[in-house]
Amino acid sequence: MVTIAEPGTKAASRFRYILDRRETLGAIFVAPAILYVLLLVGGPFLLAVYYSISAYTIYDPSWRFVGLVNFAQVIQNPVFLKTLGNTFLFTFGSQLLGLILGKFGAFLLMRPFAGRKIVRALIILPWAVPIALAAVAWEWMFDSLYSVINWSMIALGIIDRSDAPNWLGNPHLAMLCVIIVNAWRFFPFAIVIFLAGITSIPQDIIDAATVDGAGFWRRNYQIVLPLILPIVAVGLIFGIVFTFTDLSIVYLLTNGGPINATSVLAFQGFQVGIVSGDVSHGAAISLFMLPVLLVVVIIVLRFIRRREV
Amino acid sequence: MSAARPSSITRRRFLRDTSLALAAASASPVLSAPFASRAMADTKTLTIVQWSHFVPAYDKWFDKFARDWGEKNHIEVSVDHIPVQDVAARAAAEASAGSGHDLFGWNGAGGAHLYRKFLIDVTSLVESVEKKYGKVSVIGRQIGYNQDDHTWSAFPDYYINFPAMYRKSLWDEIGMKPETWDDVRIGGAKLKQKGHPVGISLGHSNDPNTTWRGVLWSYGGAVQDEAGKHVVLDSKESVEAVKFAAALYKEAMTSDVLSWSDASNNQYIDSGVSSLIINPISAYRTAQQLNKKVADDIFVMEPPKGPVRRLMGGASEFYGIWKFGKNQDAAIEFLKYYADNWIEAFKASSGYNNPIFANIVPKPMPLLSDDPTSTPRDKLAALQTSDQWSAVPGYPGPATPATDEVYNDFIICDMMAKAATGAMTAEQSVKWAAQQCEAILTKWQHKA
Repeated sequence: MVTIAEPGTKAASRFRYILDRRETLGAIFVAPAILYVLLLVGGPFLLAVYYSISAYTIYDPSWRFVGLVNFAQVIQNPVFLKTLGNTFLFTFGSQLLGLILGKFGAFLLMRPFAGRKIVRALIILPWAVPIALAAVAWEWMFDSLYSVINWSMIALGIIDRSDAPNWLGNPHLAMLCVIIVNAWRFFPFAIVIFLAGITSIPQDIIDAATVDGAGFWRRNYQIVLPLILPIVAVGLIFGIVFTFTDLSIVYLLTNGGPINATSVLAFQGFQVGIVSGDVSHGAAISLFMLPVLLVVVIIVLRFIRRREV
Repeated sequence: MSAARPSSITRRRFLRDTSLALAAASASPVLSAPFASRAMADTKTLTIVQWSHFVPAYDKWFDKFARDWGEKNHIEVSVDHIPVQDVAARAAAEASAGSGHDLFGWNGAGGAHLYRKFLIDVTSLVESVEKKYGKVSVIGRQIGYNQDDHTWSAFPDYYINFPAMYRKSLWDEIGMKPETWDDVRIGGAKLKQKGHPVGISLGHSNDPNTTWRGVLWSYGGAVQDEAGKHVVLDSKESVEAVKFAAALYKEAMTSDVLSWSDASNNQYIDSGVSSLIINPISAYRTAQQLNKKVADDIFVMEPPKGPVRRLMGGASEFYGIWKFGKNQDAAIEFLKYYADNWIEAFKASSGYNNPIFANIVPKPMPLLSDDPTSTPRDKLAALQTSDQWSAVPGYPGPATPATDEVYNDFIICDMMAKAATGAMTAEQSVKWAAQQCEAILTKWQHKA
């Protein structure tokens, strides 16, 4: 389709000429996204960095520079070190469980069965349901008095009432619970990632392997998994970043208890920085996530590039 | 296809039209601003934010009360109720933005001191109310009074007390009454054998934060001194309190308490399981609605006495007026009117909100001295003197940002829980907690 240019002044035609240049127009279109990232991600990030090296509190909102004192004080606190360990356990535990569930879920959903479309829609629910609502349901399931899990196990004669697990009261079980809830929240995303990866594998590769005598497990581990690894790795980056920076499940389910057994960095940063008003220490706690996330992202991206080469 | 169509969308045309539309959209507020701001200036407004009360009827009463006052004074009043967990974050957001509600209702003891630089001085307001309705209680002073320059940063509204609630028939069976903490341990152990343990949470929430502070104070321990300058937690008295907590947990409670939220102990006694809890009267009020038989058997008394004193933690509420608030005068006038009608607020909260000013609710207090829904009708009478056995975090000193951080980090609950679960000895646990408190107090003193 051709349009007839309207006659105009010299300046206007120069302006049109600039707009006709591919690189200029491209820059104009990308500019809002870059501006968005700079203003809403870059700006707060730099602010957080400055908070962490200042004496800024709500009580005294001064920008007095204190160097790395806040970080030194944070590291000396044994509760922080426990929290740091908890964060790793929570993140990698829930990602591992989520990936396993996602893989099995994807395989199940690839098989034809009656009502598959409904199941596919329902499986997205944990992802779509607001976490505040889901946490209330999980809290009831793990409740020390009314746990439906315990009730079922007692009714089935698997355990005695006196042996019923104290899900959120035992430090180890409490961590397991928050991991399970996060994995439950993450696994629909993992299913989508696995489904996208598996369906992109040409069927003839699978058929050739089957003809050559490869069984389910060999096809799975030597053909399917290596081929979908790059896309799974990208999903994993998302999962790790979101989990490492998440405080909602811990905040809603355990408040970091019992005895800080489930306290994670984002939760502690929120408690210290926002609830208690010590913004500088809160920022310092939160910034401990940055090097970890940076290393994880670099490792995974390098791994993906190597596989692509 | 080579024929030109004037109506077709070209890249240039798209850009031109979009730019024009965006420019028009951005310019419209600028063009309309003079008219809009003039219109807004003609209508006076007062915006209030506070927590969603545990007693929903109170919120209804308050909204109507504020609206009626607004109508009388030609001021448009809007009240926002937010979940209690969101209060701290909302306050931080409003202070950082330098804009928000005119009147901010806090929930948590140290807030008035934390936000001191953002709040207007309400000394004359507090003093005028004090002149009319009697002396401000210890809790009131802890919350809003600044010892250094003798000013008030906030208007202390009320506190929520934490009495003991026990199942009378069960305690009668063993021939005891939980008068002292030792009675609770000894009697609780007997009742646990009968399937009715004591229910005091050792988890991370408000109830254990207040209750275990009460135990600590009753045994003579405290986090800080009277001036709020030094940590005094590492003491013989604190160790005794922690030893008691560990014994109470082992002998009279179950491990369930480690996971509890603020609702759990209410459910525990309302379901007929527990023999004693320490909680605001909401637990009893809920039982009245859910289980009348159990409610009639729940008796409310002062918290148990320790070897040194009878004292329990309370939760405090207060109002601050932002310096950046646009209607400070209206906020002050509203608070004066509110204080003059405080007795109605007390009734609307079913006796849940307890007075800060000595005579603002004259004794015998309505409802508490004679509650027609209770059997016997004077069941809640002990609550009338709760100002004598209640304090907020920071006792015997003021509530400060530092004592609030100790509270928000659940250090006192964890100190008790570590010893109770055997993770540490009582001595080690107290030392650990004292170090945590020391670091926090030193940090805040340095920052202040």
